[in-house]
Amino acid sequence: MDIDDILREVDPTFHEVPQEKRDLQDLTRAWVAERSAPELLSWPSDGLFERISDSIRRQIERIEEMTGDMDPKTNFALIVIQTELERFKFLVRSYLRARLSKIDRHALHYLSTDELRARLSDTEMAYASRHQALLHNHYLSSFLSSFPPALQNLNDTSGGIAMVDTPDLESAVFIRLLNDSLVMGRGVDTDDTSEFQEGDIVILRWSDAKSLVESGRAELV
Amino acid sequence: MALPLPPGLTQPEVAFLAEMELVTIVPRQRLESISLLGGQTPPLRPPHRAELPLWLALLLKKQRRANIVPPPWLHPASLSEIITRESKDNPDAFSSPPPPPSRAHPTEPGRARRLAESDANLSPPFQPSCTADAPAGYLPYHWLEVAEALLAHAGDDMPVAAGEVRSLLRDLVEVRAAKMRSSTSTLESFGGGLTSLRGVGAMELAESRGFVLGVVDGVRKLGASAEATRREEEEFGGGRDVSDDESDEDMGI
Repeated sequence: MDIDDILREVDPTFHEVPQEKRDLQDLTRAWVAERSAPELLSWPSDGLFERISDSIRRQIERIEEMTGDMDPKTNFALIVIQTELERFKFLVRSYLRARLSKIDRHALHYLSTDELRARLSDTEMAYASRHQALLHNHYLSSFLSSFPPALQNLNDTSGGIAMVDTPDLESAVFIRLLNDSLVMGRGVDTDDTSEFQEGDIVILRWSDAKSLVESGRAELV
Repeated sequence: MALPLPPGLTQPEVAFLAEMELVTIVPRQRLESISLLGGQTPPLRPPHRAELPLWLALLLKKQRRANIVPPPWLHPASLSEIITRESKDNPDAFSSPPPPPSRAHPTEPGRARRLAESDANLSPPFQPSCTADAPAGYLPYHWLEVAEALLAHAGDDMPVAAGEVRSLLRDLVEVRAAKMRSSTSTLESFGGGLTSLRGVGAMELAESRGFVLGVVDGVRKLGASAEATRREEEEFGGGRDVSDDESDEDMGI
């Protein structure tokens, strides 16, 4: 601890947000965004999930230790810890399941380019490619092998229609501005540009909102 | 198993989020600090107030270990003021959301700036908008969920009879629901790219999300060919500036 830390502790105006709270905010935001966005978002790259699963593991170990001594005083603390643990687990599970459902729906799309593949975590990548391989083998053995070779592709784009289903990036979303900024939205009759304040809630197309959300100037709600 | 829910938060999920809002409690028993995944809880020493997430406050309340201090905006005077503002002063728009923490300390500009810097990436439910220090007269994002939870489980902690608060709350819900409904007329002619819903609450959003987004997407699909034609014309027609003369069009609902 150096002099800065001491000063920080006695300075009542210093409101440093602790790392745990920051992580909870980030996890919640990631969950809400993943539940609302029409396409799969990037896997958080700053080690958020490693930190969270580590702390969940540690907390479970602590609970196992605490259940050993049945002191009624620690008992209530145990209930609180377990309740909170369940809330965290719900967030993590719901986030992962929301991602899985998007990967399932458009597996070929997310496997198609390197840029899209980079959005998946390692385990999701393994899941998606194995699932797709199994599916492809199954199609081949059940009906695809009896087609002429020219018709066996699953990702044809001939005839102007792509076989690979893609998410609708133009669907509308709700966003909340995190700081005052200029928002551009394309519409059917007109394109609008206007200034919004922090905390304002705006409906616009995901394709217009995406850059705002990715740069941290807005969040999905 | 993948998630079978539609995109966008459903009402139970919104209620789950609202339980993370911080509220102020008056403990009735001592309780040491507990280290939780979301950070340490403050040690509880009666009669000193402490701020805790709503789920924990409700747990303590049910076990009679604490009383919850209702947020100032839930007081009948504040609620009736908001109702007047919603119905008479500004019948077309939702009342404005609470000012961000950076603007909440007009008397201490230095402090306000510090708060803004460090809290910059916090948004509801992590902003302290339901604590005893929250400003009166403004509805926070999770107002309906927090108010319902407090009335259901901590009705005896209200400054007046819970029934009075509940009836005011019901009036407020009605007034705002009417605004949400009337916003559909704006959506029908939704030709612009932006619609502002400044001041809307999380539950109101969750209730009408399917409908509103359905209308917006429907209008877009119906107008897709007209839009493509317009874009082509703009591209070839010397780039007529449309953003300037029609910027009034993003109407507050």
